[in-house]
Formats: sequence, structure tokens, C-alpha cells
Amino acid sequence: MLGSWPSFDPHNFSQFKPNDPANPSKMTPVTYRPTHDRTLPPPDQVIAPEAKNILLRHFYQPAEEKLRSKRAPCDNPSPERASKLPRPSASDNSI
Amino acid sequence: MFRSNNVTARIFERQISSPAPGTSVHCARRFYENIVPCHTIFDIECPDILFRKFSDDGQYLITFSRNHQDLVVYRPTWLSYSCREQDCPDHDLPSKANKFESFFTQLYSVTLACSGELICKDFFLYSEKNQFGIFASSTAQIHDAPAVGGAIQGIPSIEKITFHLVRLEDGVILDERVFCNDYINLAHSMGVFLYDDLVAIVSLRYQRIHILQIRDSGNLVDVRSIGEYCREDDELFLNSSTQCMSIPGRNRNHNVGNGPDHTNQMPEGSFLSGLKQRLLSFIFRGIWNEEDDPTMRMQCLKKKFYFHFQDYADLVIWKVARNTDNHPAFFAVYNMETTEIISFYQNSADELYTLFELFCDHFHSSSKNSFYMNFLSTHSNNIHALEQLRCNKNKASSLPQFVKKMLSTLPFNCQSQSPSPYFDHSLFRYDDKLISATDRHRQSTDHPIKFISRRQPNILKFKIKPGPESGNADTRTKKISSFLFHPILPLAISVQQTLFLQPAVVNIHFRR
Repeated sequence: MLGSWPSFDPHNFSQFKPNDPANPSKMTPVTYRPTHDRTLPPPDQVIAPEAKNILLRHFYQPAEEKLRSKRAPCDNPSPERASKLPRPSASDNSI
Repeated sequence: MFRSNNVTARIFERQISSPAPGTSVHCARRFYENIVPCHTIFDIECPDILFRKFSDDGQYLITFSRNHQDLVVYRPTWLSYSCREQDCPDHDLPSKANKFESFFTQLYSVTLACSGELICKDFFLYSEKNQFGIFASSTAQIHDAPAVGGAIQGIPSIEKITFHLVRLEDGVILDERVFCNDYINLAHSMGVFLYDDLVAIVSLRYQRIHILQIRDSGNLVDVRSIGEYCREDDELFLNSSTQCMSIPGRNRNHNVGNGPDHTNQMPEGSFLSGLKQRLLSFIFRGIWNEEDDPTMRMQCLKKKFYFHFQDYADLVIWKVARNTDNHPAFFAVYNMETTEIISFYQNSADELYTLFELFCDHFHSSSKNSFYMNFLSTHSNNIHALEQLRCNKNKASSLPQFVKKMLSTLPFNCQSQSPSPYFDHSLFRYDDKLISATDRHRQSTDHPIKFISRRQPNILKFKIKPGPESGNADTRTKKISSFLFHPILPLAISVQQTLFLQPAVVNIHFRR
């Protein structure tokens, strides 16, 4: 349909072959390969969406930073989140 | 964006070009520069009602009867008439244009408050998904209420507060929730927050946050009550431990349900409430983790924590929008699911102010159901609003005071901002002190409030003038104005009233 339109130079569009649905084009698109590896992602990279919005991330950030930097050297006074166990001396209310 | 300011040219341009990715709403909004509420009908005759607001999807106008007992809901329609003359646009509007009924059709009037109760005229929350509205009615406040039954001192008490869930389509009251001898800040929905289908109600007297869920069937279901207990099974656990404590000789396999006299053996006040305990341990661990050296650590703790311990323990959940006195206020972020306090700031914290300046939108937390509420123009997403904020910051006499004043607006009241595009700072410039998207009464002036186009500088697009056309004869009495902008149509209502019970002057501003 498009091949027979008038054109300025009759040699333009001479190589044009309209798409024939019975005969699908065997051309594969050109693949671009990088010439260097400076921008390659790390092999084990996983990209996932962030569940928390940016404000919540800022709220969580100082807590996570402190935990990361202080966990190794000092002893953390809070116990790991253990399941609830009844304690015999539960009546003291000192911190 | 659009190349021409002419509305016809813009419509043609819209047909052939698509907007840049992610800007379709902003592009469509620019048509509001062409369609403005430039015509005013002054002092329209309207029924004796108190205007609350338009629902956020523009379907309903919520008003209350003057006696604060009934809810009256209108559907905004549009004035229409036909004219067969030749020069129609120059004609005056017909006389029926001056009637309230030409713009609004009453859908129904339903009584919410029984005798002795009054509807809180400043309270209304809208759930867009189901078109449900939440209203509140209450009895009178008792100021010197004794602190009994777990209540704290100094907070007034209201004998009965009822929250009504109403289906706005037809006015059917679907469910109610009653709080007795409690105090909940109802003005401007301060003590209640609606997010998706969850309602959080802050009970100040008992220092609890009640979480309710609105089901599609219209029922209000209790989800959780945070304050004394953090996790859902805390109460069960504490009660079973109490029994083991107070009855030492008995068999440890007591059931909790074995008689109510067993459950309250704990002396009152021996345990801090769950939420308070979480907060204190958060502060403690924060100070503990700051220092490595044990001696320095103890010193730091003594100075910062134990010295102020009683102050921290006496902190009260308040959630006010205005903190006019100089008492230090604190802001805490609590994760409901993990029952942990994430962060804790004083209201003068620069860190918190930086977050407020950068991420103001996220403090508004609009739910996924309401589309247009995600496009509020704030200083975090609009350069003009940010410039205004910075300008105010530089003009402020004291920076800490300015920070405190800004942070006192946090946490933001739910649904307090109007989604109307006329408040978009990138479209119009207007005086923030006289009118803004925030739903508040303001001091009224006699001069009209100008909305000037941003893109075509100094071109006045429209004016909103509250009060009578010829101005007020009596300039000495203080007048307050409130504005209700329809979220979608070029329609706005301005209500001017004096502080005495004189009838209000209601103007309708619309595009003629």
C-alpha cells in the first residue's frame, strides 16, 4: 500500500518491502553491546521497589544507622524480641 | 505544555499532543486558568444552615441545621436557563439565579443528634470509596471532671460522644460508635484520622488511640486500642500474670474468665501504659547507644534521661494542631504492627523541620482511593509555595520560634485541605493569609481577594469577595469568613459572619 506513493527521487524507497502478514520479517533488531564494562551492574544485584515511602525511610534511618554502627562494639541492653514468658518478679516497675 | 492561552487553541492542542509522562493531571489542570469563578451573586437567599464543606469528590455539599441537630445534604447542580435573544452573554441573569435552590438540590435532612446532644459543626470525614461520611455529636463539656477510671487529670470530660457513619447517597445512618465520659478533640477533626478504611480516634482522657475499621457493609468494627496495651494480646497476658501474682498459693492454670474480681488486683499506677513504656525505652536506648564508654554512658543517662524521667513519664498524647503555649511538645512515630517507636522529636527539632520542608506531602498521607487528594499543592511539590515558606522563614524574628510554629501544625488534620485546582500555586497567586486550601475560618476583609495568574504575571483572573457587594456598613465589628470551593467545578461559596448570632452573608462565586 505504501510502496506506490510518489516520491521526489524514484530510487528512494526502492528497497522498501511492505509488511506481509503471511511472510513475517526475519530481521532481528540490531543489538547494542557495551564497549566497556565500567557501568555493568554487580552480578548479584536485585532491584526491588521500596515498600516504605520516603518520609518513613527518613524516620527509620537514624535508628538503623545507630544499630549498625553500635551493634558490634557495645552490648545491646534490649533483649532480642523474645516470645512472652511470664517472669516471677514481674511486680518491680523500675526501668 | 500549551502554547497558547486561548481555551479553544488549547483544546485543539490537547487533541493532537499528549502531555509529558506523569503530568497528565497537571496538564488538564491548566484549563482551570481559562475557566474561573469570575461572577459573584452576593447575599444569596439560602436556608438557615451552617455550611461545612463539599465532599472531596464534589458530589455532596454537607451542611447542618442551625440548631446543630440535623444533617442536611445537597447535591451541587448547575444553573441553567435558556435565552432566545440575540445578545445573550450581555444579558443579566434571570431572577432565579439568585436562589440557592438553583445551584443546590436538597437530597435529604436527617437528625443525628438526640436531645441534649449537638452535632459538632466542624467535624466531617469522608470515605470516598463507599461515599460514607463520619459525623460527630456530643453533649456538653464538663471542665472539672475528676480523674477516675484510668482517666488523667486536667482533661475535661464529655458525657457522651457519638460518631455516626452515614451513607451520603441516601442519608441512612449505617452505624454508630459511642464514647462515654471521654474527651476527643472534635474541632476540625483534630482527634480523629481517617485513612482508607481505618479510623483512628484519640481518646485524650484515657490516653488511648482507638482504631476502627469501616467495612463495606457499613459497620464500624473495633480493630485495636493502643495506649495501655500495644499488642492485641497484651491485656490477656497481663491479666493472666496478675492472677499468678496476687494469688500465690493457687493453681497456676487459672482461666482468665474465672470471675471479674480476680482481674483488678493490681494496684493502680504500678505499671506505665504500654505505649508510654515503649517510648521511655526508646529514649533510654537512644541515649545508651550514643556512648561507648560505660562511665560516660551512665553520666549521659543520668543527665538526659533520669533527670527528666518524671517529665517523660508524664507526657500526654495530645495531637493538637495549635500549640500556642511554650510548653515543649514532642512528636513520636509509632509502628502499629511491630509496636515499636520509630523516632521521637521535640517540636523544635531542626531535623524534623527539614523533613517537613522536604516531604510535606507525605505528612498528608492521602489514601489510594482518593485520586485528586494526591495533587495538593504544598511547599514540597511547588516552587512558588516553597519560596513563600522560605520568605516567611527569613522574615521571622526568631528561627526556633518559626520552626516551632510550623511543626505545631503536625500531625496534619485529616482532610483539612481542599483539592480545588484554584489553590494550585503553579496556576494562581493569592494571599495565603486571606484564603488558602486549609479549611479554617479567617479574619474577613472588605477588599476582594485576588487570584492572579502565575504564568501571565499580573493578570488578574478572578476575585472572591466575601460579604455584601457594597461592603459592610459597620466596619468595627470583627467578621470571619470561610470559603468552600467545589473540588472540580468553578463554583465556590463564601460565608461571612460576625461573631454574634447575626445571619451570615452567603455569596456564590461561579463561572457565568
